[in-house]
Amino acid sequence: MVRIGMMSFAHMHAGSYAACLNSLPNAQIVGIADDDEARGREMASRFNTQYFPSYEALLSAGIDAVVICSENARHKDMTLMAASAGKHVLCEKPLATNVIDAMAMISACKKAGVQLMTAFPCRFHPAMQRVKAMVESGKIGRILAIRGTNRGRNPGGWFTQLEKSGGGAVMDHTVHVTDLMRWLTGAEVVQVYAEIDNLINHADFDDVGFLTLELSDGTFGTLDSSWSRPKTYPFWGDVTLEIVGEDGVISMDMFSQNLVLYSDTQGAISWVNWGSNMDLGLTRAFVNAVENGTPVPITGEDGLKAVEVVQAAYRSADRKEPVKLPLEV
Amino acid sequence: MLKVGLIGAGTMGRTHGSAYKQMPDVQLIGVCDVGPVEPKTFAEELQTRSFPSVEAMLDAGPQVVDICVPTPWHKECALAAAKAGCHVICEKPLARTLEDAREIITACETAGVKLFPAHVLRFFPQYATAKQLIDNGAIGKPAAVRTFRGDGFPQGFNDWYADFEKSGGLVLDMIIHDFDWLRWCFGPVERVFAKGLAARVHEHRDYALVTLRMRSGPIAHVEGTWTHPGGFEAKLEVVGDAGMIEFAGSATDPVHLRLRTEAGGPGGVPVPESPLEVDPYFAELRHFLDCLQSGAEPIVTPEDGYRALEISLAALESIQTGRVVTLSE
Repeated sequence: MVRIGMMSFAHMHAGSYAACLNSLPNAQIVGIADDDEARGREMASRFNTQYFPSYEALLSAGIDAVVICSENARHKDMTLMAASAGKHVLCEKPLATNVIDAMAMISACKKAGVQLMTAFPCRFHPAMQRVKAMVESGKIGRILAIRGTNRGRNPGGWFTQLEKSGGGAVMDHTVHVTDLMRWLTGAEVVQVYAEIDNLINHADFDDVGFLTLELSDGTFGTLDSSWSRPKTYPFWGDVTLEIVGEDGVISMDMFSQNLVLYSDTQGAISWVNWGSNMDLGLTRAFVNAVENGTPVPITGEDGLKAVEVVQAAYRSADRKEPVKLPLEV
Repeated sequence: MLKVGLIGAGTMGRTHGSAYKQMPDVQLIGVCDVGPVEPKTFAEELQTRSFPSVEAMLDAGPQVVDICVPTPWHKECALAAAKAGCHVICEKPLARTLEDAREIITACETAGVKLFPAHVLRFFPQYATAKQLIDNGAIGKPAAVRTFRGDGFPQGFNDWYADFEKSGGLVLDMIIHDFDWLRWCFGPVERVFAKGLAARVHEHRDYALVTLRMRSGPIAHVEGTWTHPGGFEAKLEVVGDAGMIEFAGSATDPVHLRLRTEAGGPGGVPVPESPLEVDPYFAELRHFLDCLQSGAEPIVTPEDGYRALEISLAALESIQTGRVVTLSE
């Protein structure tokens, strides 16, 4: 049995991770700590566990690992705290708001001899698993280009407070598809160009981001990480990939398994997803790795590589020119 | 009776030819081609006469010459037509280079004849209606635009599409449609960054991802492919600060034919159709001829044709140099 502590429910994914952990036979949520006490207590009661008044108290409650779902800018401090307490870490994406913080997290975990896993659940979605298998079968030949999107509605709250989020849409939505591109090709991003602006909310955070990436194997691609779904859009957003190979094309729309609900009571049309819960695969992989002492499938380095693309994108948009990776920090 | 002479016995020549046949005030005086063969069968299909050369057709005295031959022959045909005092309808792109396009425009001006670049997308009702909605403020201030246009690799006379020096690949030949539509809706382009297979050697494959910053603010992403099996597809999405317009492409086709096949036999592929009361090519040519007769300013001017070409060439330059290209308009 892997004993888990959950640090902060600031990111809404925490609820889904907690529900998944509760459904696993080899995991137990020992407790939840959250500096928003009301939220922490409510979540502890919802997920049948205990509320801890401080992160220190939670870390000394005899746990093996933590799941960190704080605001982006606090990932580093919480990870360092968990590592020095000797706990394995599953950290919400983006791993950090900049490369230096991400590197500090990786080295702290290494030094403490604990594992650091980045929460990239998209790799575990059955549609993505199928796509990965298709690519590996060689059916479409060598990959030439990948066109991706990860768009959503503006989530509001701390996501639009730059001191907590580190950035707007590009910070929030770039890392998932960047990770999928790296995973599919086995190559690293070597150049980033980005057009970034705030054109929808007209505030100080970015909400439109169009990235162009070049990978070390010659694959090129683009990624739309905008918060460009209107309030009236029937779903939160999307993750799509168009993988152009020498002998064919794979198109994936990760969240297309929907019922369309026309509700007069809600006064809206919405899509109700009946696809599989990818968070289950993510949490299971983490728990199994901790239990068996085997390497986590998605590492801190994977998280770092995606953060590097985010930082390069902002730099490119500032300079209005492509930026080479590895980034000079 | 308006006398029209048609140059080009390919797909577009056939499309234009059939449109003229439906116009009671138009007399299609004949067809010719730039190749060594007189298009006799083609002329029979259109119930008109064929000529052995452009010069021979011009001698027969058309008032309007419609140029539907591959791009490299546009200039010599247009210059000959202008010299003969004929108004010119010219397929897009106007020419392979900006110099040639300017020469065509100047020659028509000097000869006192009209020049109509055939950017037919402006006459497709979904694209025209989308522009109308944008202009009416239905989605607020435009922010993020995505277009898709694609098919398998086109088959043309002597495989001319595969000769990059002649065709410019899909960036010059196909997604110029989207560039023209973007400029029509949002005004001049500020800068372009693009990646594509044009810079990489891939026989009979072309794919490009182009990011454009419009001077009026919006960021646009144009995806073009000549490597997608499964038939032609075009899509459009425009996000504003108060809504979004989506054209979902073939998903909107109202008619699908599926033929029963014997058990185990091949076939059964659905053939989709999107029938319209007025064919967009007919609407385009009708508009040009109406403008000719009334003296009204057409929806597409020679300068529009020139500027669309400029955007395509900027995208190609970016693909080839890896740099951001800033436009002069």
